[in-house]
Amino acid sequence: MGYIAVIPLLPALAFAVLVPLSREWRNRMLWIAGAAMGGSLVLSVMAFFATWPGGHAEHPVWHATFPLAEIGGKPLEMGLMLDPISAAMLHLIPIVGKCVQVNSLGYMHRDERVGWYYAALSLFTAAMLLLVLADNFLLLYMAWEVMGLCSYLLIGFWHEQEAPRKASQKAFLTTRVGDVGFAIGLFAMYQAAGTFSFEGVLGSVASWAPGAATLVALMLLFGAMGKSAQVPLHVWLPDAMAGPTPASALIHAATMVAAGVYLVARAMPIFEVSGTALTVTLWVGAITAMVGGLLAAVQHDIKKVLAYSTISQLGYMFIALGAGSVVAAMFHLVTHAFFKSLLFLGAGVIIHASHTQDMREMGGLAKHLKITTVTFTVGSLALAGVFPFSGFWSKDEILAVLLHEQQYGVFAIALIAAFITAFYVARLWFRVFVGPEQTDELHEAHNTMLVPMVLLASITSVIGIGGYWFAEFLGHEGAWPAPVVYLPSLVAAGAGLALSWWAYGRLNIVLNTRPLKQRAGYIYGMLSRKLYFDLTYDTFIIRPFMRLALVFAVFDFKRIDGAVNGVARSWRDLSESGWTFDRRVIDGAVNASATGAKALGSRLRRIQGGRVQAYQRYVVGAVVLLMLWTVVKGA
Amino acid sequence: MQVGLEVFLGLAAVLFSLGLYGAISKRSAVMVLMSLELMAVSVNINLVAFSRFLTPEVMTGQFFAIFTMVVSAAEIGLGLALVLAIYRQSRSIELAGLNRLKG
Repeated sequence: MGYIAVIPLLPALAFAVLVPLSREWRNRMLWIAGAAMGGSLVLSVMAFFATWPGGHAEHPVWHATFPLAEIGGKPLEMGLMLDPISAAMLHLIPIVGKCVQVNSLGYMHRDERVGWYYAALSLFTAAMLLLVLADNFLLLYMAWEVMGLCSYLLIGFWHEQEAPRKASQKAFLTTRVGDVGFAIGLFAMYQAAGTFSFEGVLGSVASWAPGAATLVALMLLFGAMGKSAQVPLHVWLPDAMAGPTPASALIHAATMVAAGVYLVARAMPIFEVSGTALTVTLWVGAITAMVGGLLAAVQHDIKKVLAYSTISQLGYMFIALGAGSVVAAMFHLVTHAFFKSLLFLGAGVIIHASHTQDMREMGGLAKHLKITTVTFTVGSLALAGVFPFSGFWSKDEILAVLLHEQQYGVFAIALIAAFITAFYVARLWFRVFVGPEQTDELHEAHNTMLVPMVLLASITSVIGIGGYWFAEFLGHEGAWPAPVVYLPSLVAAGAGLALSWWAYGRLNIVLNTRPLKQRAGYIYGMLSRKLYFDLTYDTFIIRPFMRLALVFAVFDFKRIDGAVNGVARSWRDLSESGWTFDRRVIDGAVNASATGAKALGSRLRRIQGGRVQAYQRYVVGAVVLLMLWTVVKGA
Repeated sequence: MQVGLEVFLGLAAVLFSLGLYGAISKRSAVMVLMSLELMAVSVNINLVAFSRFLTPEVMTGQFFAIFTMVVSAAEIGLGLALVLAIYRQSRSIELAGLNRLKG
């Protein structure tokens, strides 16, 4: 089963091959990224079936590890591992990745840096694949950081513009806040368990010092909150919409945001020992589900609606995790990955067709974009939790878990969130697909963009029924939805859809936000200002930080730069005097000996006049002198 | 008055100096050859004088003088032949013109 190691390696190799090429060649070599992703897809599906029919998570079907180094006498081991949880994520990533790649062919074909886009996409996928295959928390953390980098690259892909640049920085820094928590959690974990491996950590968690489990769990949760955009670290995700839309699909579905959920699911035994951490997770999820849903309901940008909906759905997954159910969380993660990537790819087609992201400038797309309409509708109904689409099944599983755990408060919140979800989904749908047309020349997208959507839509339509076997795959008892759960859920979804129809769908006019704005101006204002999260961060964190940074910058400029420049200047003076010495003394000596030799030669050549008698004279003179010398000496 | 060795040596020295002067300063090759001959003659005088005054019982010096005369006769013959050859080449026997060996 060594081929499993190849799964993350292939896209990473594609990245390594694409990066050193020139831009023109990179743009022509897209098939490398495509082939690598295809290879990963085939291998990961093979890995999934090799894991089938699953079983207990503690027994990986494949595990390879090797010692990397030794720290303080303890071996530091790195390795890959495949178990049901990994396998559940593993097949998902290349499927969505492949769909995004194919869709991007249409969406990005005019971009002159499309090659770089594919390279970053490949690295992103490779990092996520490595993350789910890691057999220890440290390797997971490394892959996690690579993903942070890739999200930065992809969100800021159009870095010539202001908004994507700022959004990429925001995403990077906000997730970094969470990552610091993650890192502290890792330190505490090593302190408590003396190892990073899943086996060692999760096996020994029951015997840790009191409080250690809570600390580790909360810190890991903090990291997961940053990555999975939970309140209050969710602010980066809506802004991340500035990136290319298919990349958003990848970030929101299969990779980036799923990593946080995966981390908590992985570390679930720590959370269970702690208890407190579970409760915190539960409430973080509940608040996020509510906040995300509410904010999604007032957005005008189609991508931002989907972004907030992602936040809200991630909140759902955290609720499931908080209730202690890895199965429900992972199931919702999988279904959500499919329908949300479908929705994002659909949004890409819509934006491509209508040349705007503002829903107020859209309308009547249903007549022209037939395939998009059908697939997008499937995705919307799945998100709203309507039978028989996938969202219904996974959401019901979460609700059932809440009832089983007797968390009635959160159950109510989840129901309300489901209601809001249905409301904003329908709002989006009515505004985009029905109503008067506002743009000329609407045209359906190219097949490369549609085929992935059709594929994802068909998966979304049927995958929900698999929840029963999915639970068994992860080593738990499967269950079919009970009426006590699905009836309220369906009622909530139906009510949301109906309210939305009443507000936006029944009037065949150009729609605006007036009804809600007029009736509940205060709430609307609060929501449209994103519940003041960005404002708060700006006032209390970013601006004081900027002021501090300014002080440091001035100090840096005056003192440190001054010192550096002073050293440089004295070096320059020193070398200048060295140069002078060199020129005057050393060159002077060399030149002087040369000119001396030249002058001597020009004098001496006169002696050799070629006249024999002259030579004779010299000889006579010399003999006379010698004789004189002899005579004088003799006397 | 008794004519001593010094007188012969003085005569030889005067002749040698005249020859040397001529060899150094004359422009014509023939004159230089004549000057060389003069110097050779002065040496012969010396040889004969030393022979007569210092070793009267053996004739070594006088034989040497005869040898020297033979050699200088050969030398002068060779020298004149050279002068003739030079004259045929350059229509001149001026020594100043013969500076092709200069550095």
